[in-house]
Amino acid sequence: MSTDDLTAGHLQELRRGTVVLACLIRLRTADYGYALLESLNALGITVDANTLYPLLRRLEKQGLLTSEWNTDEARPRKFYRTSPAGERLAETLTGDWKLIDAALSRLTGDDS
Amino acid sequence: MTATLTDRYVWAAARSVPEAQRRELERELRERIGDETDALLDQGSSPEEAERAVLTELGDPVALAAGYVDRPLQLIGPRYYLTWWRLLKLLLAIVVPISAVGVALGKAISGAPIGDVIGSAVVVSLSVVVHIGFWTTLVFAVLERSPAPEGKRGLDALWTLDQLPATVEPVRTSRLADLIAAVFFLVVFAVAIVWQQFGIPWVPQLESVPLLDPALWSFWLPYFIAIIGLEILFAVAVYAIGWTWWLAGVNVLLNLAFTVPALWLLLEGRLFNPDALAAMGWPWGDAGPIVVAVAVVTVVGVAIADVVDGVVKTWRASRERRTAA
Repeated sequence: MSTDDLTAGHLQELRRGTVVLACLIRLRTADYGYALLESLNALGITVDANTLYPLLRRLEKQGLLTSEWNTDEARPRKFYRTSPAGERLAETLTGDWKLIDAALSRLTGDDS
Repeated sequence: MTATLTDRYVWAAARSVPEAQRRELERELRERIGDETDALLDQGSSPEEAERAVLTELGDPVALAAGYVDRPLQLIGPRYYLTWWRLLKLLLAIVVPISAVGVALGKAISGAPIGDVIGSAVVVSLSVVVHIGFWTTLVFAVLERSPAPEGKRGLDALWTLDQLPATVEPVRTSRLADLIAAVFFLVVFAVAIVWQQFGIPWVPQLESVPLLDPALWSFWLPYFIAIIGLEILFAVAVYAIGWTWWLAGVNVLLNLAFTVPALWLLLEGRLFNPDALAAMGWPWGDAGPIVVAVAVVTVVGVAIADVVDGVVKTWRASRERRTAA
C-alpha cells in the first residue's frame, strides 16, 4: 500500500461520520440525491455517489430523513428532508464535533 | 422496442432484492442514472457514451442493489463469525471421532477385514467433516441474512470471562490433578491384577476362578505390575519436572511395553485362564471375534490417546518456554 493510499484510507475514515452530519444539516431544505451530491462536493465535503445514495436510504430507514417523490418534472425524483429526529441527531453530532475540535486544539497546543 | 442498457441494468439490480422493495429501487436507480447521464451530456458526451460510462461506473448491479438495501455480501459476517468458528470446531472435535469409532466398531463386529474397517472409518470421517461444515455454515449464513428483532443483538452469544481458555502452560495445580488421577488408576489396575487371582466375587462363575491365566505369574503378570510401577514413577516425574520431549519418548516406550505384550498374549489366547473362559461359556456363539476386536481397538485406542496427550502437552510446554524465553 502506497503512502497516498494510506492517507486516502485514513481521510475516508475521518470523514465518514461528517457526511452524515452534513446531509442532516443540508437537508433541512428538501433536495434530491444528485443535487445534494453536487452541493456537498462544491462545499468541499467530498462524498462518493456510491456512498451517498445508500446512506440516504439508510438514514431514511432510521427515521432521520423523510422522503417524498416529486413527479412534477419528466424525471421523478426522490426528495429527502431532515426529520425532527434527524434534527436532534444533527445537534448532538455538532456538539460532539466541537468537543473533538476543542480537544484536538488543546492537544496540539500542548505540543508547541 | 428493445430494452435499453439502462432498462437491463435496472432490471438486473431490482430482481436481486425482495419484491416489496423492487419498485422503489427501480425508481431511485432511474433517477440516479438519469441525473448522472445528464451531467455527462452537459460535458459534451454523446448519449450512448454517457449511458455506458454511467452504468460502468455504477458497477455490478447486484452489488449495487445489495448496498442500497443493506444486504450482506459475505456468507458470514463479523457478527457471527466467531460463534460459527467455535461451534464448528466443537462439533468437529466431538462428532468426527465418535462417528469414526462407531463405524469402525460396526465394521469390526460384522467381521470385516482390518483394511475395510480403517477405510470405512476414514471415508465416514471425511463425509462427516463435509456435512458438519456445510450445514453449520448454512445455518449461520441464514442467520446472517435474518434481521434481528428491534433492539436485540440476534443469536450471537455474549462473550463472558468463563470462555477464557485454560492456561496454556499446565500449572502445577493441574499437573497435581493429573498426578493424582494417574496414580489412582494405576494402583487400582495393579490391585485388580493381583485380586483377580482370587476370583471376582461379583461374577458368579468366577467366584473362585482366576480370570487371567495363572501360568502368567511365572513372568508376564509380574512384568505388567512392574510396568505399572514404572508408570507411577513416570507420573511423579512429569509432576516434578513437567513434560519434556524425552519424557514424552519414555511415555511412548512405556505404552509399547505394556500394550504390545498384552495384545500379543490376548491374540495368542494365553491371556485368560481357560477355566475361567469355560466357566463363562466362552466363546459366546459368534460374538467371540467381535469381543476380541472391541478389546483390541479399545486397548490400542487408549494407548494412542495417552501418547498423543503426552506429545500435545510437551509441545505446549515447549512453546510456552520459548515465548517466555
